[in-house]
Amino acid sequence: MNKLLKINFSLYIGIFCVSLLLFLCVFGPMMASHSLTETLETQYTDGKVISPPMEPFESKDYPLGTDKWGYDLLSMIFHGIRYTVFIALAITLIKMLVGTVLGLYIGQWKRTPSWMIAFENAWSYVPLFLILYFFMRPINFNSQLETNTLLGYFILIASIISIPSIVSSVRLKTAELNKSVYIEAARALGASRNRLIWKHIFPQLKETILVMFILEIVYVITIMGQLALVNIFVGGTLVRFDPLIYLSVTKELSGLVGQARLNIYGNTHILIVPLIVLLFTTISFSLLANGLKNRFQSNYARTPWIKIGQVPRMKPVRKQFGEKSKFRSPSGEKLAFLSLIIVFIGAGTYVYLTKDSDVGVKNFSKAAYEMQLEMDENGEFDTAVTIQVKNKSDDDWDELVFYFIPNVFKEGHAFESVKGSAKVKMKEIEVNGEKADYSLEKDTLKIVLPNNMKEKRKHTVKVEYEFTPPEQGVRFSKEKDNYYLAQWYPMLATYQNGKWNKEDYSDGVETYHVDFANYRVEYKLPEGYTLISSAEKDPKPGVNKGTVKMKKVRDFFIAVTKDMDIHETTANDGVKIRLFTKSDHDKKIDDSLALAKGALSFYQEKIGAYPHKQLDIILDNGPFMEYPGVVTINPYIQDMNFYRTSIVHEIAHQYFYGVVANDQYNEGWIDEGITEFATSMYFYAAENQREEQAFAIPKHRMDLIKEAGLGRQYSNVPVHELKHTGYMYGQPTVELLKMMKVKYRLKGDDVKEVSMQFLSDYYHHFMYKEVNTEEFVRFTKDYFLVPSGYFNGWLNK
Amino acid sequence: MLRIIQQFIIIFLLILSLAALPMIIEVNSAENKLEWNFEQLPKIYGSFISEVSKGSLGSYQLGTQVREIEQDIGDNFLTSLKVMLIGVNASIIISLLFGIFLSRFRLTKIFNFFINILAAIPDFIIIIMSMILAVKIYRWTGIRVISLRPDAGALNTWFPTLLVAIAPTLYLFKLIAVKYFQTSSEDYIKTAVAKGMSLNYINFQHVYKNIEPFITAELVKVISLAIGNLFIIEYILNVSGITKFIFQSNEIQPIAIGLFAMLLISAIVYVSVRLVFYLFKRGFIYE
Repeated sequence: MNKLLKINFSLYIGIFCVSLLLFLCVFGPMMASHSLTETLETQYTDGKVISPPMEPFESKDYPLGTDKWGYDLLSMIFHGIRYTVFIALAITLIKMLVGTVLGLYIGQWKRTPSWMIAFENAWSYVPLFLILYFFMRPINFNSQLETNTLLGYFILIASIISIPSIVSSVRLKTAELNKSVYIEAARALGASRNRLIWKHIFPQLKETILVMFILEIVYVITIMGQLALVNIFVGGTLVRFDPLIYLSVTKELSGLVGQARLNIYGNTHILIVPLIVLLFTTISFSLLANGLKNRFQSNYARTPWIKIGQVPRMKPVRKQFGEKSKFRSPSGEKLAFLSLIIVFIGAGTYVYLTKDSDVGVKNFSKAAYEMQLEMDENGEFDTAVTIQVKNKSDDDWDELVFYFIPNVFKEGHAFESVKGSAKVKMKEIEVNGEKADYSLEKDTLKIVLPNNMKEKRKHTVKVEYEFTPPEQGVRFSKEKDNYYLAQWYPMLATYQNGKWNKEDYSDGVETYHVDFANYRVEYKLPEGYTLISSAEKDPKPGVNKGTVKMKKVRDFFIAVTKDMDIHETTANDGVKIRLFTKSDHDKKIDDSLALAKGALSFYQEKIGAYPHKQLDIILDNGPFMEYPGVVTINPYIQDMNFYRTSIVHEIAHQYFYGVVANDQYNEGWIDEGITEFATSMYFYAAENQREEQAFAIPKHRMDLIKEAGLGRQYSNVPVHELKHTGYMYGQPTVELLKMMKVKYRLKGDDVKEVSMQFLSDYYHHFMYKEVNTEEFVRFTKDYFLVPSGYFNGWLNK
Repeated sequence: MLRIIQQFIIIFLLILSLAALPMIIEVNSAENKLEWNFEQLPKIYGSFISEVSKGSLGSYQLGTQVREIEQDIGDNFLTSLKVMLIGVNASIIISLLFGIFLSRFRLTKIFNFFINILAAIPDFIIIIMSMILAVKIYRWTGIRVISLRPDAGALNTWFPTLLVAIAPTLYLFKLIAVKYFQTSSEDYIKTAVAKGMSLNYINFQHVYKNIEPFITAELVKVISLAIGNLFIIEYILNVSGITKFIFQSNEIQPIAIGLFAMLLISAIVYVSVRLVFYLFKRGFIYE
């Protein structure tokens, strides 16, 4: 028991708490689950009305509750704590540095001038927060100065006004030491003043100064707290009238306390939560200072002769001089400190790496594909696909579900747009080396997992089959000598919200939804054919055997062509654009290539880096379609305007489909709508067309809907409910443009600039994530500070 | 003596420049820059001096009406003085009592523990927490512990007095405990113990006498702590004390007069503490 009492608890707890604080300061904003502008909106769920202010520990989303307006308290604390601690540190650092140096030198003087002592005394009489109060009051409320300027002034003034007290105490201690015999001796031996100060006096003081440093941090936080009580918040105070409300700009802790001051009468948690965090902050530093003091005191203390109440009972930790440092057996303290550092770094790395993990919709099925493709002279493809499937969910799977689209085009299909029919012959399916039962209906391939494999998290699926694409099909097609293999392999469906998310194929817009995956394809073609694919490094024309691979793409498209001309150009960042065409159409190749280059360069500049190294454009009969790294364009249509728009449209898809994913069956508007908006923006911003001209196509689509008398429909409906594609393409574009025109002033001076910046921020926020309507609304309403109801006209949320 | 005069002149100048701060600092909205209007200073001080030299304290603005400071300052001054006088004296007596004379008893350990916890909490947090507590007590029991109405008499002032006393007590108690610890290991205490003197005797004759100078030296600091908290407490608890003049206006007149009144209060408190020490020494200690 005695031994236990002798442990310097306050030092250890202090060090731990201060490291925790520093951790929160560095990584706090990354850990915040809500932004500072996102509010909890009043809602009615499961028979309960949820409305702000929410009490702590009631909701998972808002662990510490919200304030009256619905802002998340925890997120505000995560954002604000760094201001509190770093400002306090900055002020303390400045004043201690200056104060210590001045104090050391002044303490050496033979006589301190009396005016200086008088000044010190006078200064120590005036409460420092009062000086700051008078200084900040004229500039702090609804200030036109920038936050950083205000912070700078605060740090500067707060440091300057507290220097005299530091000088005073350091000066007194120096003067005391200066009288010692050992200083006398050093002086007699001829030590210079600097030597005396830095070699003889400072080493004696450094422990005291360290303790003082940490105590001063607490003192600065106290001053900030006092100022907050009179509504001076560090970094600026926002004042709202009717009713009179004071708000902290930086959400710094004492500001949070100050702005919630009137909550002592009700909803006290709004006040208590930041107060407790602030208390934790100050107590951590106090404990650390106390612990250090205990250690130093126990090392130098003498034992009292009479019985007194407060006797520190710490075990001294003394320096052993002349001992060799023991690397082999470090002390418990050092080990503990080391592990603390390791935990700090480890947790920091974890937070940094997972900071975006709550962005986007989760999918729990992952796949990696290895495929062998062999084509014979008759256009029959013999294929073996090996798929590594990972189950990332907590559920056990009974079956694996794949899209197998070639199957829907078999003899007797009902799609009018597909002239011929496909031949598909399934040979064998193996799971984890065992032959598996499966069912293949329409485009749904279900592989039954035997009982002993249900609990496994990883499966190796091998599918062997033969196929021939239909003549003049849609996407998956044969055009004369050219074969277009789109969605030609079993594609693992997504596993979301505890079930397989697989919908049936239908004609028209895309109906399949898969996650990003890695692909490797070995191919073998007859002589004379060329392979064009999603891969970054496609083989040279005429090479008919080899391997192509690609990482992190949503689909792997292959075109096997014969006798196509190649035209090349280079966009920004050295991205190569290749255009494949025949010469039997009336479209000018140079113009098309220039348009593609212009569009891609524009997007590279305004939205972000193009995700691949190469873009292939194939001009041939068939639909206008985007695949990762490849787009297909039909040059045989007459409408020149639509032709040009489509080239830009499919290139924009490389961003908003290729990198920002979405469920194309249930949330098709997310890629189509935003792509159409980006397309119109190209003509509007880059080619400087008039608005009516640039947005002609989306507006035309809306006119068609009007003419048909279809009424209103939300954009986010599943494909089978969609009354007209205009709701998916045109409506989002028109609505987004409307929003930009109303709201752009929040972010900039120019509609075009703000629109492109929005697309860029949206793209970077959701890179390689899946977006749904909810995520889109969450992002956008935060971006333009609009309520959720703002989107009610066209989105069903 | 010279130093005291110097000190007063410096404080005088300090207060004047402090009171003028709100009038000379301005944000230039055109350039978004901070501006110091030093050229205003002569005008500000001129009007202040001319007002004071006329024998009046000037006027201040309260809402829309202009009132004479002279008429209102009396009551406010007395309220603040009462709070400060009782608060600081009580804190010095309590910390001396528990820091030295009762230090060795077991009961003091509890007090000590309590104080140590409080000392780790910044004053303003104690102030807020005690207010939350007061509201809660009223909710639970229906007993009105405090009142925020300025005309509620003792109900309005006892709580501020307590809060004002807390900070100096914490500061002094720690200081005295450390000094007591240091003093008690000195050789003259050893001698006294060896002579067989009683503990009380040693505490009074040897220890107290050696600790008193430290307390006197820190007295200004202690009073300054109390004043600093008085500002906050009066502001938050709606006590109509002297700080009302300082927080409610932007003009130099009420701010400067308020600060000077504060100075006067501190001086009175300082003298009163010295008086208590003097009486204590005359009564208990042989000089």
